Amino acid sequence: MIKGIGVSAGIGIGKIHLVEEHSIEYTPKQVTDTDAEKKRFHDAVELFCENTRVQAEALRKTAGEKEAEIMTGHISIVNDPFLLGEVDKLIDGGQCAEASFDSMCDMFIQIFSAAEDDMTRQRAADVRDVRTGVLSVLLGISEVKLSEVPPGTVICVKELTPSMIAEINKDNVAGILTETGSTTSHSAILARVLEIPAVMSVPDIMKAAGNGEEVIIDGGKGTVVLSPDEAQIKEYSEKREKLLLERRELEKYRGKVTESADGTVYELVCNIGKPDDAKKALDFDGEGVGLFRTEFLFMDKTSVPTEEEQFEAYKKAAIILGKKPLIIRTLDIGGDKDIPYLGLAKEENPFMGFRAIRYCLKNRDLFRTQLRAILRASAFGNISIMFPLITCVEEVREGKALVEELKAELRSEGITFDENIRVGIMTETAAAGIIADLLAKESDFFSIGTNDLTGYTMAADRGNSDVSYLYSALQPAVLRMIRSIIKAARDNNIPVGMCGEAASDPMMIPLLISFGLTEFSVSAPSVLRVRKCISTWTKEKADEVADKVMSLGTESEVREYLQNL
Amino acid sequence: MVSKFLTVPNAQGFHMRPASVFAGAMGKYPCSVTIKFNGNSYNAKSTLNLIAACMKCGSDIELICDGDQENEALAEGAKMIEDGFGE
Repeated sequence: MIKGIGVSAGIGIGKIHLVEEHSIEYTPKQVTDTDAEKKRFHDAVELFCENTRVQAEALRKTAGEKEAEIMTGHISIVNDPFLLGEVDKLIDGGQCAEASFDSMCDMFIQIFSAAEDDMTRQRAADVRDVRTGVLSVLLGISEVKLSEVPPGTVICVKELTPSMIAEINKDNVAGILTETGSTTSHSAILARVLEIPAVMSVPDIMKAAGNGEEVIIDGGKGTVVLSPDEAQIKEYSEKREKLLLERRELEKYRGKVTESADGTVYELVCNIGKPDDAKKALDFDGEGVGLFRTEFLFMDKTSVPTEEEQFEAYKKAAIILGKKPLIIRTLDIGGDKDIPYLGLAKEENPFMGFRAIRYCLKNRDLFRTQLRAILRASAFGNISIMFPLITCVEEVREGKALVEELKAELRSEGITFDENIRVGIMTETAAAGIIADLLAKESDFFSIGTNDLTGYTMAADRGNSDVSYLYSALQPAVLRMIRSIIKAARDNNIPVGMCGEAASDPMMIPLLISFGLTEFSVSAPSVLRVRKCISTWTKEKADEVADKVMSLGTESEVREYLQNL
Repeated sequence: MVSKFLTVPNAQGFHMRPASVFAGAMGKYPCSVTIKFNGNSYNAKSTLNLIAACMKCGSDIELICDGDQENEALAEGAKMIEDGFGE
């Protein structure tokens, strides 16, 4: 078995099609009619752009707008004024068009390949692609055509270029193998969109594999089996069928209500970090947004974003979601999330320090700006406000008082907003768990953030390998915390959701159903899987599991029991 | 000649998209547009040069415009960088 980087999940079984790149070799020569040579070069560039536009159009249909932009990016590379100017100069010096363009591309390929970051290194592939394309036109050779391979083909190539993948008929291609590239390559992104299993950076695969040789690739694990025996083909065929079946099976849950086997309806929403992700949430069939992290607005900036900027961002997400809920969490900085221009002091113990709601209540101007922006956006959708890291009742009261003050301000300015906007809290600290009964009387809803709740309950940093074994949402202490938070919410008739990773964990779901959670907020790609998992449980069966789990004394006992269900 | 010192604010720095948007916008001006970073000068009308410069989030750079409409070019260029290219 050979190991590479799995960049597009799925099992591919088929016959190798080795793609030998056309030789774009030429004999450099001196030119005397430099104007004619420059015209030959510019004509070639123009034809290349035309071909690329056709490929971009093809990709726009098979993959999408963003993917097509990769090809249009090639057009902007070749039209780079610096590049064109330098090539003209070289031709003026008497070099032929091929040699002039080749040497300029080569220079950028060298620079990009030597870069420290992966993103820039991957751009070398784009320049190589452009070089091959333009030189092919200049030399009058046709580029590699992948559109006519037979069904069940595994394409094997040194470097897969976006222009090659634009030609691919995905029904005939069972998989892709390359010697270069990684998960951030443009071709890897395209392979994922087209749902073609792909393994990249497989060392010397072009030498190891023969044309027509049988091959199995596992794009999830990044493994390749050349000339597999019958047992391996059988094993992987079954695995492949299972994966495809699962994918089809999950599709059945698209557009369905999220309900348990005995008909209790749950809300199944998504966690997002940018306004555009709201669209993604809907694409994956999420029923709204249970957590909109607003830190993105504050990062990548040199100063605090204005009310207008924030308003536009929140409004955009609200409009995309329409009547569906959008819970916006107010700024959650500090801890491990620093924003340089806020000038947060270095702390001995940042996770116990000046962060999130604590920071916002002390920096009123910043908090007012954000809350005003959220309130204004609430006129355009179904928005709720959520405060992070609550540890005591005063924080909720102070936050809510500020919201009321700003409502009055907006009213007097004649600006519309949702008068009944709900204000809830993240219950993610041990303190919030212990006084959940008191907090429930002050809040319109709870959302359990299991990542922080686990850390704060266990007093364990999951990034510290010496103590990370303690960091588990299945720890009896964390489970009791979750149970009591949900109970407090239910006793006070307020909705209670979960927006941490645990909400999509199949081991956790029966417990959450038994405890009485009302909303699951998960990453968009998990929506259908969680909906399916919820549909398999009745309250009675979930209660049985929960009773047993709550009688177990250790995390490993809990884990073992749940894994064997 | 006019110039301004700036800090690249967006997480990805001058990667493909910002670089090509920026170079495209600067290409509209007749003046020369140069970015000085780490002691080197880069033609800011060239996407390839911008990517090659490897400017990251937090990089301190100087944007220099020289020639016709240098003030307009500097104003637009500086704003694009300060806004993190709308990312």
